[in-house]
Amino acid sequence: MSFLLPKLTCKREVDQAIKSVAEKVLVLRFGRDDDAVCLQLDDILAKTAHDLSKMAVIYLVDVNNVPVYTQYFDISYIPSTVFFFNGQHMKVDYGSPDHTKFVGSFKTKQDFIDLIEVIYRGAMRGKLIVRSPIDPNNIPKYDLLYQGI
Amino acid sequence: RPEHRRETARFWRENRAEAALRERCLVPAGEYERFAQALERALAEHQRREEERILQVTSVTYPPRHRPGLRWPRFTALSLQMAADIREAERRQRETVQAALQKYCSFFLNHTQLQPEPELCAGPSDCRPPAGLQRDSPCAAEQPGPSRMQTGPDLAWMESGKVLTFIGHQVGDNFSGSFLGAKPPWLTEEEDGSKQQIGPSYEEFLKHKEKQKLKKLPVERVGANFDHTSQTSDSWLPSFGRVWNHGRRWQSR
Repeated sequence: MSFLLPKLTCKREVDQAIKSVAEKVLVLRFGRDDDAVCLQLDDILAKTAHDLSKMAVIYLVDVNNVPVYTQYFDISYIPSTVFFFNGQHMKVDYGSPDHTKFVGSFKTKQDFIDLIEVIYRGAMRGKLIVRSPIDPNNIPKYDLLYQGI
Repeated sequence: RPEHRRETARFWRENRAEAALRERCLVPAGEYERFAQALERALAEHQRREEERILQVTSVTYPPRHRPGLRWPRFTALSLQMAADIREAERRQRETVQAALQKYCSFFLNHTQLQPEPELCAGPSDCRPPAGLQRDSPCAAEQPGPSRMQTGPDLAWMESGKVLTFIGHQVGDNFSGSFLGAKPPWLTEEEDGSKQQIGPSYEEFLKHKEKQKLKKLPVERVGANFDHTSQTSDSWLPSFGRVWNHGRRWQSR
């Protein structure tokens, strides 16, 4: 259901999105529209977008279109979801090795909703890193290797 | 006359004036009578003259009766002319009284060592009504002395030193005074052209409401001072903490 969510196609649009979204969590999904896990994640994002409309704004970004950001955010696995609030990057401790982005898809819609709510509350209180409420068993496992070591 | 003698004696005693002068100040009865009569005659003459002038003015303006629509300007012309006449009359009266009083004021004050208040001469003349001419003129000594001393200090405060600046009679020939029925200036500008709306427009009002809502958010939230409208270059990248334990700790923000 990736056609339900707005897409950003170039670096300038991503910049614009990061700078303009105010007082709401900005969710940027980096991936490809035809990837299986991406489709799963996009489905969850699309179904929850309306309920979270007061707290979050969701955009889809194709990693082929923005190589600058793919390198800058060090996106090795797709889908990767990066969170921003008022132009500031938000880190979340999921129990996984990488706190700067969420790798993979969510198991249920409720997981995603809980995560967005925790990020929103933390941002309102001035926290730059929050702890994820999702059960660690539901977090996708991946190996974070430094340049193939 | 005996009362006159007694009053002057009392006045002299109270103010401790020179006794020699007192005799000179006593007005003999005959002189007093003659003076009173002359005064009455002068007053009658003056009143006759004033009435004659008023009648002259009204007679001039009454004849044009065949134009009833012009009643308002006719009355105002009448009143304006009368106002000018009255002003002129007041001025002449003031000058006469002032001259007369000055003569006798200086005589009394210089020789009787009273409280030096030269403004008294100018004071009472301006504040008394013009019809009081006969009272102010130098007649019996018992009246001007004590009465003037009582009213003197008050009037002196009003007239001495800080004289109000006179900026001219504002209502001349034009009928633009508020009491003459003219329109107030803020209502006369009907031909203003474009109807400029006073106050903020609708969009500004909406923006204002948004700003009010923004103020209610917690102050310590992340990126509260982020400038959303700043123009950034093509190579701008957001602040992204490091992924690996590579750099310094502050770089991980």
